[in-house]
Amino acid sequence: MSTASRARGIPTTSPQRSHWWSRDPNTAPFLNPRARTIWYAVLMLALAVGSWGLYNRVFGGLATTDLTSTMPWGAWVAFYIYFVGLSAGAFLVSSLIYVFGMHQFERIGRAALLSAIVSMGVALCFIGADLGRMERAPITLLFFHWTSPLSWEVRFYTLYIALLIAELVVAIRLQKRLVRSVEAAHRTMRILGTIGVPLAIFGVHGGTGTIFAVVKARAMWAGGLFPVIFVISAMVSGTALLMAVHYWQARGAGRVPDRALIRNLSTVLLAAIFIDLGLTFYEFIVPLLAFEHHDQSIIMLQAFGPYAWTFWIVQMFMGLLLPAAIILSPLKKRTGALVAAAMICVIGIIGVRFNIVVPPLIPPVIEGYPTGDYFPTITEWLLSVFFIAGGALVYSLVSEWQPIHEPDPDDHAAIAADAGMPDAELRTEQETI
Amino acid sequence: MARQNVTIHTTRPSDTKPTPEDPSWAMVIDLQKCVGCDSCTVACKAENRTPPGVSYNVVVEEETGTYPNVRRVNLPRPCMQCDVPPCVSVCPVNATYKNSDGVVVIDAERCIGCRYCITACPYGARSFDFGGTYSDEMQGYTDVQSPEYGVQRGKRGSYTPPVGTVRKCTFCTHRTARGEEPACCETCIGDARYFGDLNDPNSVVSQLAASPRAFRLREELGTEPRVWYLR
Ligand code: SF4
Ligand code: SF4
Repeated sequence: MSTASRARGIPTTSPQRSHWWSRDPNTAPFLNPRARTIWYAVLMLALAVGSWGLYNRVFGGLATTDLTSTMPWGAWVAFYIYFVGLSAGAFLVSSLIYVFGMHQFERIGRAALLSAIVSMGVALCFIGADLGRMERAPITLLFFHWTSPLSWEVRFYTLYIALLIAELVVAIRLQKRLVRSVEAAHRTMRILGTIGVPLAIFGVHGGTGTIFAVVKARAMWAGGLFPVIFVISAMVSGTALLMAVHYWQARGAGRVPDRALIRNLSTVLLAAIFIDLGLTFYEFIVPLLAFEHHDQSIIMLQAFGPYAWTFWIVQMFMGLLLPAAIILSPLKKRTGALVAAAMICVIGIIGVRFNIVVPPLIPPVIEGYPTGDYFPTITEWLLSVFFIAGGALVYSLVSEWQPIHEPDPDDHAAIAADAGMPDAELRTEQETI
Repeated sequence: MARQNVTIHTTRPSDTKPTPEDPSWAMVIDLQKCVGCDSCTVACKAENRTPPGVSYNVVVEEETGTYPNVRRVNLPRPCMQCDVPPCVSVCPVNATYKNSDGVVVIDAERCIGCRYCITACPYGARSFDFGGTYSDEMQGYTDVQSPEYGVQRGKRGSYTPPVGTVRKCTFCTHRTARGEEPACCETCIGDARYFGDLNDPNSVVSQLAASPRAFRLREELGTEPRVWYLR
């Protein structure tokens, strides 16, 4: 048996590892020393700069934002739904493995679960910071109002995070072979995942869409298509995020990114983008042909208003069209190009989220009122940087501590690829041994 | 005492079901009589001592048509105290609810400041209290606050409720509790505003609300406002 595969943490003889939380000394490092220095330096810098935003928010209140009573929601709400989407999308990719048995994605399973947990945490930080009275956030669990989607959401988020953590713990124990029976652990994963899929689709992300969809006062939010679009664009951003995470982590750790995995994920991404494009088409064409003047004014604002570039360039081009074009073009043979498409897409979906939140709040609800006007302040941007860097830091620290990116001990192909040798070679090697 | 609303901030929707003795407050605004002087807005600001950016009442001035055929409408807009209030139904913690006298109230000790209700109100009647003050322009602005809902709040602090929560027109509950009209109605120089009890079929508001001139804003949304306009 080669030393390389032993270093990958195959627990052939695993004596003293008795807890899932203890760090396995055989685990390959999350990043190699150079990448680690650069990565943490960048994160620390971002946190240091972003903490100014946190300071302003805590001591200056919401007056430090560009929000007004005419524009009650802005960047933080947009980031909140963005990260809820990333979380739901990443979780749904993990369910492809654990529920639907698509083992070609096995490699990314624990990373998907961890991304889902961290994204959800970041989302909650954003919405927490957006509350006028942050200290009252916990009372949302105390008082329930059944007609309020937001009230349901708080409960769904709590359940969802608990379920994700449970699933990740089982997955880590499975990876370390600390479970009594591998089959039983797989079954537990399948059960948790099966509960999680409707929870993520209807509870967490569809539900977040429902927060907007029930607001009949605002054109373009109100309507049944909205929660569906939320879920599909979550799939888009979540899949794209996982492609980028896998690629950069592997590069940072000095391994070869799994080409087949990225190829397969890009197929999922492409499918999600196509469905998203279709739904976006209906979202716009129906109110236009129905001559709904409230909706039309918002569509005009998105398409030709002062921030039209966020619609055309960020949302449509970066979020959907360019990634789809790259995945369809001959460039798809290059892993780097696919990952670039994914990263462009992850950024583009931010545009989708901003365009969900901001433009429908701009036209006055009653003719004669002032028109809304909003652009995030420095504080809003800096606090966003702080939360995003904080999320990346938590993700990295957990990955340093637990085998998040390790292949499953039975996944010889992945281990062989990591060790830089073709699968067949490893097999023959093992047989000779 | 039955009509005293001073306990409002401790009551919850479940215990605010109207009883026969409860009034059912409503307002009628005659657009033909409104001269667009904005006195009501000023009276409201003074009565409720609302901070910058918070106006419970505004007068929307709208001009339509082209010269010489122009029409100008002044539309005073308090909170409509909707009977099917979208602001109430979206509130995640029941901080805002319909009181037994028909007024939609906000519990500043419970509101988390999510501003969901602001997005949901089709009449733009809600404002967020960002904590601003007029102390630069007005001496002693922060020394005393309006006793909204009958609660004496004392000095206005930089982070004491209602700062950080949502605020709105309450039909001046602290005034109606002692038998007075809302400040906007009392001050209206055109005598365009009527305030009264819908439970009393002989009240002026009951009669005017049934007039053929009466209409309500954005009625198609089904919010059942308690403010009628006379065209
Ligand atoms: S006008 Fe707005 S704030 Fe007032 S009750 Fe109706 S929905 Fe609520
Ligand atoms: S801002 Fe306050 S009153 Fe409005 S929905 Fe949120 S918690 Fe309820």
